Amino acid sequence: MLRMVPLPRFAGEETGACCFPPPCSEAKRGRGTTRRVVEGARRSALGYLGDEPMSRTQGAGRAAAVAVFLAAVFVAIPWAIASTGRTDLYYTLSSVALLAIASGGVWLTFYIGRINIGQGAWALAGGYASAVLVATYGWSFWLSLPAAGLICAFASVLVGLPILRLRGVYFSMVTLVLTEVARLTALALPITNGARGITSIPTPGPIRLFGLTIVPAFDSLAEPNRAFYFLSAAMMTLCFAGLWRLVHSRLGQLFAALRQNEDLASSMGVNVPLLRVVAYAISSFLGGVGGAIFVAIAQSIYPSSFTINDSVNFMLNCFLGGLGFVFGPMLGTLVLYFGWDLLFQTGPYQLLIYSGSMILLMLVLPNGILSLLNLRRRAP
Amino acid sequence: MEQVIANGLYLGAQYALIALGLTLIFALMNVLNFAHGQMYVLGGFVVYQVYGLMKLPFVVALVAAAATLAVLGALLERFLFRTVIRRSEREESTMLLAAGIAYFLDAAILLMFGEKQRGVHKIVSGVFVWDNLILPWDRILVAGLAVLFIVAFILMMQYTKPGRAMRAMAQDRTAAQLMGVPVQFYGLVGFALGAMLAGLVGGLLVTITGVNSGIGGPISIKAFMMVMIGGAGVTGGAIAGGFILGMLESVGLTVLHAYGDLTYLAIFVAMMIFLAIRPNGLMGKPWG
Amino acid sequence: MTDPILAVRDLTKRYGGLTAVNEVSFDVQEGEILSIIGPNGAGKSTIFKLISSFVTPTRGEVRFRGEVVSGLAAHVVARKGVVRTFQETTIFKGMTARDSVIVAHHLRSRASLFGFFFGTAAARRDEDAFGRSADEILDFLGLGAVRNELASNLPQGHLRALGIAIGLAADPKILLLDEPFAGMNVDETNQAVEMVRAVRDRGVTCLLVEHDMAAVMKISDRIVVINFGVKIAEGTPAAIRADEKVIEAYLGVEDESIGL
Ligand SMILES: Nc1ncnc2c1ncn2[C@@H]1O[C@H](COP(=O)(O)OP(=O)(O)O)[C@@H](O)[C@H]1O
Ligand SMILES: [Mg+2]
Repeated sequence: MLRMVPLPRFAGEETGACCFPPPCSEAKRGRGTTRRVVEGARRSALGYLGDEPMSRTQGAGRAAAVAVFLAAVFVAIPWAIASTGRTDLYYTLSSVALLAIASGGVWLTFYIGRINIGQGAWALAGGYASAVLVATYGWSFWLSLPAAGLICAFASVLVGLPILRLRGVYFSMVTLVLTEVARLTALALPITNGARGITSIPTPGPIRLFGLTIVPAFDSLAEPNRAFYFLSAAMMTLCFAGLWRLVHSRLGQLFAALRQNEDLASSMGVNVPLLRVVAYAISSFLGGVGGAIFVAIAQSIYPSSFTINDSVNFMLNCFLGGLGFVFGPMLGTLVLYFGWDLLFQTGPYQLLIYSGSMILLMLVLPNGILSLLNLRRRAP
Repeated sequence: MEQVIANGLYLGAQYALIALGLTLIFALMNVLNFAHGQMYVLGGFVVYQVYGLMKLPFVVALVAAAATLAVLGALLERFLFRTVIRRSEREESTMLLAAGIAYFLDAAILLMFGEKQRGVHKIVSGVFVWDNLILPWDRILVAGLAVLFIVAFILMMQYTKPGRAMRAMAQDRTAAQLMGVPVQFYGLVGFALGAMLAGLVGGLLVTITGVNSGIGGPISIKAFMMVMIGGAGVTGGAIAGGFILGMLESVGLTVLHAYGDLTYLAIFVAMMIFLAIRPNGLMGKPWG
Repeated sequence: MTDPILAVRDLTKRYGGLTAVNEVSFDVQEGEILSIIGPNGAGKSTIFKLISSFVTPTRGEVRFRGEVVSGLAAHVVARKGVVRTFQETTIFKGMTARDSVIVAHHLRSRASLFGFFFGTAAARRDEDAFGRSADEILDFLGLGAVRNELASNLPQGHLRALGIAIGLAADPKILLLDEPFAGMNVDETNQAVEMVRAVRDRGVTCLLVEHDMAAVMKISDRIVVINFGVKIAEGTPAAIRADEKVIEAYLGVEDESIGL
């Protein structure tokens, strides 16, 4: 897909924001548990969902982490790009943000205990939905964006009802096949224009409210890529904030219950099939939204825009970041994407080194990068 | 008509052998081997190297392919999968590892053998003609060898000590361990055997369809489908799934000839509907 | 006799050629402790799965307070008040004891799930109420001290109790306990027996499957005996002890498998 981009100079920028340990408010709990609570605060600020009682005294730490993250994404990065003139990075970072959104969806299906290797299908479906609405029916991009997400969510309910009954590798394999189904469908349908795809899709128009222009038309801007970066980053922030809230709400608790034991959950009266479909629909919604913005940036879409490779990568992003962390997929996407780009200069050895280091990483950190935080806790 | 069935059987025999390897690894190790297709490709290239370039006899080439893949499988199990299974919190992590290995093999094969489609000269020439049925002799030979390997595999699983041990392990790993089966060792054997089967099919089919470095992924997906149709982790299921997919492809490509990719779309959709009705495939055990 | 809370009629389940449960009928009265006993593989767990609607019967039906519940989805039956625990110690491994019990309060929530997403006042009220109720249940079952332990770190006895706690949190009218005393020593069993009695005294009807004869005899108001999927006897503990068909059925099997 959109990979071969020149070498970035400061890939660490966003990572720094992600991993920043927030200054924790000293716990007001019992003496012995202080250390645990503080650590809990640090990790829960990163969205760790593991095996520890969630402490509720981390407001300050969390707020600081969020502030640093927002400042880095919306101020520091644009400033650094402006001052170094590396405007190509806008495009790269937009891609990372959009892929992270789709990966976040995959992460949610992981969260209910399903390994989803089919997000490419929904990214493709969302991309096509937006492309057709904008290019063929003349919709505004801004309307097509939620529409694409909702179309994916709706379609994924229909697909999900039967396939979510499958567990383990069966579900994984079916979702993998689903990506192929999406590609072949895009090739076969008249409305998607077969292998030629849809090209010359207009860029997003303006948003006007009460005669006021809130967002200018993208093609009127000197740097549309900058606008796309802000759009993608804002969407990513929104999606992950939503995800974070979701898994910390009651719904999230029920999702976790599903992952750990579907039978027990249903014996307590939890409507397991419904919740599974809800999670899958949200996941596909994220895939569709990510795909739709991607298409708006590329101004074109083909059946091969999202393939099985992308589906696998979405899954890898989640694994690599750490499945126990809401923000794992964000970090995983960043690392994998920039890792791949950094290796560009190794020429023919790019894939070899890339996959080799992935294997090594698995050996050293089988529970994802963010699990480093847990290690530090265990070795005092 | 006979032609369609004969083609289906020929494809089915190959597919069944691929699916057997995949299902064996899954049953013993609970690992979904994403790299199965790449192992197939590697087997094809070994035969291309030994038989096609070095001009050694085909049998030697086939043995070389089997040995290479068996060793590769054993090494992967011993040094990668075993470690990750031991250290990881979630057993799905092996999927990431398998995907990484798939990419790695893809890259390595591309570097070693280039991206060109490679073929070798026919192992036997001539065509078998009977009524309106036309089959080249080499296809018949290759299908026969595949069936022979399948039968040998089944006999081994049924009647030899390692076969019995592996069956016990597939049934219930803990129980097998308590009965004194060295599960680690047989995990390694099973992995080597599964990889070897993939390599053997690659080695057989390179004589007919040739091989190129890009087909690993698609082969893996086909293997997944066969295993799903038949039921994961079951020998009979893998064989049934292989023949069913072979038949479907053969029929579909004839009937939907004009539409090309529609065959696969139809097969995929049919399979998803089938799985919605029978979540464990034809013969699979209930999952989880 | 009053109307039974649960009526099982001609319940039959076939798996392929095997008839796991064959024409079993019995009633459960409100507030009693009824035990189902029988050798391994007799079909006891299958009866539980049928009652809780985890599997649909081949024939026959289950009525809860006069209403047919077989054929409904498992979670619907659970919401009506028929809650089962599992034979294997089935828990949420990655959660603390307290969190597991809180999750199990889901049924009682009045706020919508979206209310919980946005943290509305009703949702927060429910959240607090669930926490208090969970603590109460944990204390009641003697799990107060381990409430913040990971469920997967708890010893066997505590796990069984946690299974019951999760069941109780779902606000059952009738609780189905599958081998609640399995893997316990005599002391633990005695404690668990008291626990089940206490649960009954809270007004929850209890239906047990159990191997431990001593415990069964001590705890049950009535006993139903199943052999090869068929009900061969039903009555008070004293009557069952004297029943010839029961003795015969049990003489045919190894002592250890019935825990005599
Ligand atoms: N899902 C199933 N498929 C096939 N047979 C089953 C299934 N569940 C239970 N059985 C069979 O039904 C019989 C009764 O099992 P079960 O109710 O678990 O016995 P118990 O709990 O009394 O030990 C056993 O022979 C068992 O093998
Ligand atoms: Mg039982």
